[in-house]
Amino acid sequence: MNPGQQEHMEDAKLVQDFRGGNHQAFNKLVARWQDRIHHFAYRFFASSDDAAEITQKTFIKAYHKLDTLDDVEKFGSWLYTIANNLCLDELKRVGRKRATSYEALKTAPQTETTTSADDKVLRNEGLVLLHKALLQLPVEQRVVVIMKEYEGLKFREIAEILDEPENTVKSRLYYGLSALKKTFDSWNINKEVFDYE
Amino acid sequence: MNKETARSLFMDYLYDELEQDQRKELEQFLAEHPDLQNELEELGEVRSMLEHLPVQDPAEQLVMMEPEQSGFQDWWNELIGSLIPKNGFARAGFAVASLLILFVVMGAFTKLNISVDDNGFELAFGDKQEVLQQGVTAQQVDYLLQQMKEENALMVADAVQQVQQAQDEKLEQSLINFADYIEEQRINDLQMISSGINNMEEVYYDRFRQTDQVLGDLIQTVSTRN
Repeated sequence: MNPGQQEHMEDAKLVQDFRGGNHQAFNKLVARWQDRIHHFAYRFFASSDDAAEITQKTFIKAYHKLDTLDDVEKFGSWLYTIANNLCLDELKRVGRKRATSYEALKTAPQTETTTSADDKVLRNEGLVLLHKALLQLPVEQRVVVIMKEYEGLKFREIAEILDEPENTVKSRLYYGLSALKKTFDSWNINKEVFDYE
Repeated sequence: MNKETARSLFMDYLYDELEQDQRKELEQFLAEHPDLQNELEELGEVRSMLEHLPVQDPAEQLVMMEPEQSGFQDWWNELIGSLIPKNGFARAGFAVASLLILFVVMGAFTKLNISVDDNGFELAFGDKQEVLQQGVTAQQVDYLLQQMKEENALMVADAVQQVQQAQDEKLEQSLINFADYIEEQRINDLQMISSGINNMEEVYYDRFRQTDQVLGDLIQTVSTRN
């Protein structure tokens, strides 16, 4: 049994315990998954407040809907589905406001960043632009990039979470990475920027 | 393999989800097509840049669905769990016994007093008070009945008198109304008779005048002829 399967089994056990009336089991699930959901939401919005809110809403929803989960070993995928849907809902709710801020990000500073003498500042600005570039991606590409690149999910799992064919997921990732490449080129960001310590 | 097929395998290759034989096949194809090799390397470079994206951990556990039970609560739950029998029948007996004990304890605190005598069942709380009067004698009952009868007779007589009075008043009012009506009719009749007499007088007066005039004319005619 590989570590992933072991983890799924432990989640399944905790879900069964919770269904059996042990509320502490749910808190253990929260402790196991909180960081991952928070990271996902943080990368999605680039905001700690939004990430915390989405994380809380995800677990509250999971708490109330856990009885509806058919395959207890897929708790993680199910949780990501909830978190992703909440992120999309939040984006719809304040879409216009966010869209405006994304538009503003498109005019990113270039020469100032690349000519800065301070390596640390250069690296920090590069990291900020990295996140800005990610936020500029279309939502469906951004979700796939985050899930694959940072959450380390398999294509099969992402397809299951998004309820899309695997090829669609791969295609979105390909176009997402290609778009990021173009953005980095247009902002004169290359991998040397991040090699400064 | 063509270029499109090779591109469709890029993501699996980059994220190491490609079967070994497919991987080798793709690598051979890329060796023959440097443009594709370059494209794949650029995508890999993007990946290596994305790795640097910082992330923030939540400061604390953001969700706690139920507060952890205190030591006392755990102890209490264990105690209750150990006291209550598991068997259904025994559990019912335990519940009945608990209720009885509760009843006795509550009775002691509230000074519950239960008694059954000739007068019936009595349930009372607090100190028992002395009964001031047990009941009434037969004589008193007779006296009360007599008094009630008298009061009833008086009430009936009073009611009859009131009804009689009301009827008398109604009759009197009816007679007054009838008399007024008769008087009104009489006045109308007299007015009609008077009016008729006046008309007759006028008619006779006119006839007398006409007769006088004819007689005057006749006398004048005779006088003229003579």
